[in-house]
Amino acid sequence: MKKISYIVLFSLIAFFSCKKDNYDAPTSRLSGRVLYQNQAVGVRSDGVQLELWQRGYSLFTKIPVFVAQDGTFSATLFDGDYKLVRLRGNGPWLDNPDSIAVKVSGNTQVDVPVVPHFNLSNVSFNKAGNTVTATFTVQQVTSTSVLERVNLYLGTTMIVDNTRQDASAEKLASDIVIGQSGSITVNIPAALASRNFMYARLAVKTNGVGEALFSAPQRIEFK
Amino acid sequence: MKNIKIYIGLIICTITFSACKKDFLEREPQSIVVEDQVYGDPKLIEGVLANLYNRIPTDASLTNRWTEHTAYDDAVWSGSGNAGDEYRNNIISYPVDRWRLWDYGFIRDVNLGIEGVQKSAKLTAQQKAQFNAEFRFLRAYDYFEMVKRMGGVPLVTTPLVYDYSGDATNLQLPRSKEVDVYDFIATELDAIVNNIENNGSTSRANKYAVLALKCRAMLYAGSLAKYNNQMASPITLPGGEVGIPAQRASDFYNKALDAAKQVMAGPYSLYKSNAANLGENFYEALTKKTGNPELILIQDFLQSKGFKHGFSYDNIARSLREDNLASSAIAPTLNLVEKYEYLDGTAGNLKTRNVDNSDYVYYTNTQDIFANKDARLYGTIIYPGTSFRNTPVNIQAGVALWNGTTYQIIEGDLGAKYTDGKLLTGLDGPQRSALDLSNTGFYLRKFIDNTPLASTRTRGTDIAWIRFRLGEVYLNAAEAAFELGQTASALSYINTLRERAGFGANSLSALTIDRIRNERRVELAFEDHRVWDLARWRIADKVWNGSTSNPDAMLYALYPYRVVRPGDAARNDKYIFIKQVAPRFKTPRFYQIANYYSSIDQAVLNNNPKIIRNPFH
Repeated sequence: MKKISYIVLFSLIAFFSCKKDNYDAPTSRLSGRVLYQNQAVGVRSDGVQLELWQRGYSLFTKIPVFVAQDGTFSATLFDGDYKLVRLRGNGPWLDNPDSIAVKVSGNTQVDVPVVPHFNLSNVSFNKAGNTVTATFTVQQVTSTSVLERVNLYLGTTMIVDNTRQDASAEKLASDIVIGQSGSITVNIPAALASRNFMYARLAVKTNGVGEALFSAPQRIEFK
Repeated sequence: MKNIKIYIGLIICTITFSACKKDFLEREPQSIVVEDQVYGDPKLIEGVLANLYNRIPTDASLTNRWTEHTAYDDAVWSGSGNAGDEYRNNIISYPVDRWRLWDYGFIRDVNLGIEGVQKSAKLTAQQKAQFNAEFRFLRAYDYFEMVKRMGGVPLVTTPLVYDYSGDATNLQLPRSKEVDVYDFIATELDAIVNNIENNGSTSRANKYAVLALKCRAMLYAGSLAKYNNQMASPITLPGGEVGIPAQRASDFYNKALDAAKQVMAGPYSLYKSNAANLGENFYEALTKKTGNPELILIQDFLQSKGFKHGFSYDNIARSLREDNLASSAIAPTLNLVEKYEYLDGTAGNLKTRNVDNSDYVYYTNTQDIFANKDARLYGTIIYPGTSFRNTPVNIQAGVALWNGTTYQIIEGDLGAKYTDGKLLTGLDGPQRSALDLSNTGFYLRKFIDNTPLASTRTRGTDIAWIRFRLGEVYLNAAEAAFELGQTASALSYINTLRERAGFGANSLSALTIDRIRNERRVELAFEDHRVWDLARWRIADKVWNGSTSNPDAMLYALYPYRVVRPGDAARNDKYIFIKQVAPRFKTPRFYQIANYYSSIDQAVLNNNPKIIRNPFH
């Protein structure tokens, strides 16, 4: 009996003592999209980063916000004033050193406009036999940028990019006419040919820029 | 009675307090050595130097970050899977702070040492000059380690002292230009080369270690000047903190070649004591410390004094281990094995399938597939059919059972017998998912100690980590000469090295940059060169492009199988080999453009507004 009362006593102390000096977790959600001409810009998953900075506290360090492959991003934050910075040399778009002032108060939406080097349009995928063919048009958005290549990736999951893929094909800039329709064909790996479906995605890579701009992944039915 | 006690107490108090009175607060410290004592005694200064030598940064040595040997393309992590070690087989992309180094604690200790020696009243002028030179060598070495990771860093050459005025701006130094850091290293090394003495020492730097460091640093600067500017869009910062002007390339290459020539004219020679067995000879060249004329500067250990390490414990071949728990952590890849050429000069790809790819090639013994290869393969890697510590290793993945139309692969436990009474799976594997067992079919030989009990934790090993050896200087000379258009002398340097590996005299008559690069890879494997070489040639982002379809970014294994095909005497009990992606390896290597220079810590940027960030992060 005595033991039990001790246990009750200690557990009371243990549960109550935590309450006082703990902060609540942040609850406000900042979310948004990276936009060009009102379209979200597709990127590599886990590759492209935006930075959030908040001044006025002794700890001054960035909060990295990774852009999802469909061009959206989100972060759970405390309410307050933040600066959103487009990390230079990071995404498949032109550097823009201007920061965006963000006032987070409850759930907040913010869109980040960017100017890509190249864009993809009229993207379509077509399966024929053991190959998948993509047709596309590369559009030059920034006149000074130099095209490097266009890649077609096939993957078994919806997350498809240059690092997560099961088959790929590439076309170098010398074989691509900017502004005109082109196509790439990739062979479906024999081991995956019996699947019911795969996802396909196109990427356009600019010379000297680490990350490529991607089209939306598209599910291709095999059966 | 009571009074007597009080009196005694009073007397004791009086004695105690009066005895202490005089110098109570002024004593010589018993447990620390003060600055004047250190810099008044050459032995103590050597202690300071020994501490600094041990702190020279490496990306992966035998003791510091040794596990990172498996983070590139020469080896797969095959050790235990706990404590997060397995992540090395699954690196999505290298983090941008992976190689971050902001080593100003080291620089400050060196600068304090230089100042202390300078002020010392007890040292002779000659001692002062020598210690000064040795401290500056260490500082130049550390700046080289920083500049190759971070680009230009602030050059601090005196101890920075805060004056408590509330204003620290005079301590906030901007980053120097990348090219200026390399020039600083060259000038410093030129200034000390004739004062440093330590002749004949391998654990302390002498004249030739200074020249070997200069040679390496200048080669890096030259290749950065050349290859960075050949990129589609060179990596630069407007202030020159990153990016070396292209016109400096030949100047740097000339300095590298010049320094290399001076080292090669010195008292060193390539280790060739074991001419009867060139493979063992190469192993000895890397592991013998006495009577080895090739070593220029090493991080030495001494087992008998307890200064030892466990590199052999962690990486010994499985069946040869003398302790329990660990072994086999670094398993060399087929990628590396195939880079060792055949002695007739053909490319080193192993012949597992016949010419028209219709059937396997059948070998009588497992080692036959490696016949007539570069002797450095034997010296670096334990492959099937070879021995270590005079004990044969037992590498066999399983049996290949002929079912009439195709082979059925059967694998079993270590040492298990197949139904025909012969071996199924060797005591050394490989197995697909076992821990502490090779995942690739190969084990590491280089730097593993073959002394009995060296792979136990209690005894340990004192194999030295090689910072500079003559073999590297030959390769540096060859690369610098080739880049300068002096192909004939480049050929003679490369051919000298290849002769030791079993190739005939003058085995090469034509040279390409790719040949030199391959030679560096096979000669200097596991000596902390690979990632830096790829980075300074600016090809790391292409070789390791993160694509599963790129054979350079994927790591491969070679699994040997014994054929069970009764009635076919030409094939039964012979061995076939299957190349495949190493089963524990999951994600292709991905070196991003942002990895060429590591990011600077935000705390550094916050403390010093004059520091600017590196490109891409």
